Amino acid sequence: MRGIASVAKATALEILSEPLTLLVLLAALTLAVLAPAFHYHQFGEATRMARDAGFSALFTCGSVVAVFGTIRAFRREIESGTAQMALSHPVSRGGFFLAKATGAFVAYLAFAATVFGTSLAVVEGARVGGVVASRTGDIARLSGPFLAAGVAVMLVPLLLGAALNRFARFRFVLTSMVTALVLAFAAGGTSAALDSALLPRYAPVAALLVPTGLLLLSASAAFAVRFKANVAAASVGVLAALCVPAVGNYYMADALSNGGTVSWAYVALASLAAMPAVAAFALLGLRFMGGRDLS
Amino acid sequence: MNDECVIGLADVRKTFRDFWLRPTVNAVDGLSLTVRRGEVFGLLGPNGSGKSTTIKMILGLLAPSGGRVSLFGLSPRSVEARRRLGYLPELSYLHPFLTAKETLRYYAGLCGLGRREAKERTRQLLEMVGLSDVASRPVGGFSKGMSRRVALAASLVGRPELLVLDEPTSGLDPISTKEVKTLVKALAKGGMTILTTSHLLADAEDICDRVMILNHGKCVAEGNVAELGTSLEEFFLAKVGDADDFRLAPFLSK
Repeated sequence: MRGIASVAKATALEILSEPLTLLVLLAALTLAVLAPAFHYHQFGEATRMARDAGFSALFTCGSVVAVFGTIRAFRREIESGTAQMALSHPVSRGGFFLAKATGAFVAYLAFAATVFGTSLAVVEGARVGGVVASRTGDIARLSGPFLAAGVAVMLVPLLLGAALNRFARFRFVLTSMVTALVLAFAAGGTSAALDSALLPRYAPVAALLVPTGLLLLSASAAFAVRFKANVAAASVGVLAALCVPAVGNYYMADALSNGGTVSWAYVALASLAAMPAVAAFALLGLRFMGGRDLS
Repeated sequence: MNDECVIGLADVRKTFRDFWLRPTVNAVDGLSLTVRRGEVFGLLGPNGSGKSTTIKMILGLLAPSGGRVSLFGLSPRSVEARRRLGYLPELSYLHPFLTAKETLRYYAGLCGLGRREAKERTRQLLEMVGLSDVASRPVGGFSKGMSRRVALAASLVGRPELLVLDEPTSGLDPISTKEVKTLVKALAKGGMTILTTSHLLADAEDICDRVMILNHGKCVAEGNVAELGTSLEEFFLAKVGDADDFRLAPFLSK
């Protein structure tokens, strides 16, 4: 059992340490926080838009992390030879496979918790922002500070991560991720409140430039930590993930936006639907892993 | 040394195949060998002779195409057999994102050691391989020699009864090579069974009790180092052939 826990922990750490994960996380947070600003007309449904944006970010970017993180974790383990080292220790091949899958799942949960938490903050912020806007009227003069704050929220984790990596040997990506999570929770509500209040005055070009700049910035940061050729793979992954229909997203978003919670029956049905696929993939993986020559 | 068989291979063959299952290489061809408890056994041979393939079959990483492999009388795929084994691969396969300390704790976890025991064992081993000062640095930034030492420490985490070393001195400078050889001798003196491969004959001569010479996947000679009556290098060249005589001759004559 300890062996399986060790492999799972190392796998989760590996995926969360990946520059690709940071890049996708930044993209997801940018989408969740700023996407409501893309909509020039909100038709009085700021909270619903914020919720939709959050779930979309979670499902699309989450798919990229789940698929690419897991594939890369397995492929690298086999290609680099670390699987040979691990399997020369008292751990079965089946146990090793399931431990890697568990680690990947834990990494995905950490990613999902970050994006989901931020989305909740944004939704709440949008609700408060709607109230503030209706009371204060024109607050367009705040747009400059708002943009600066938004950029700072994204820049601070990168700078702090770099500084802690340089002076205290902390892991760059993990530090950035944790800081981003803390800041997202702290600032998400405030910025989203201002964001939704500003929407009628928001210049669409500026709204598009900010996340584009942030993505370029995070890509540069990723290059600085030897990201190499994975940007191309990540781009393909993002495109692929965007094509994946997140049907469950809309059901869940609808249920929540209607003021209710997702019923346990829905959760049970979704789990039942997912189980055969999970079982099939697990059996296939176990079969391949069990019979594979590791040379 | 006693007669208990730790590793047994009987008429083992390994044929690698391509995607269409057509045979590409006969890496090991009808190999039989026995390694007894407490001995240091050397598997020697030129590059491509099948040494690493044989070791990987012993470890259960490769499935033999024919014959039988046993480890402590069990299947090499058995977790129980691997509980008693340590392995140092030819290249130090380590997770670059883990520090030296985390690497050893990772392998301690794989060996089922408890948290406190793992911590203590990690400290001991890092001290033994002289890496205590850099224990908190990611191994991705280590030199080849340092990575080799971490891998060696990782192979000893579970206090194995059998240590399998694939080219243990590969990539090491003369001082580190001497340290590794001293360590291997000390472990053997302590009763550990050791199977090692090498194409560095002086190293093998220093540490091995018994050697087997492989060429093209077949055993061409086997014997006790003390009873060869000649240097291992002369013995090896007599069995495998001298590169100057065979491969380089056409070029040297021009």
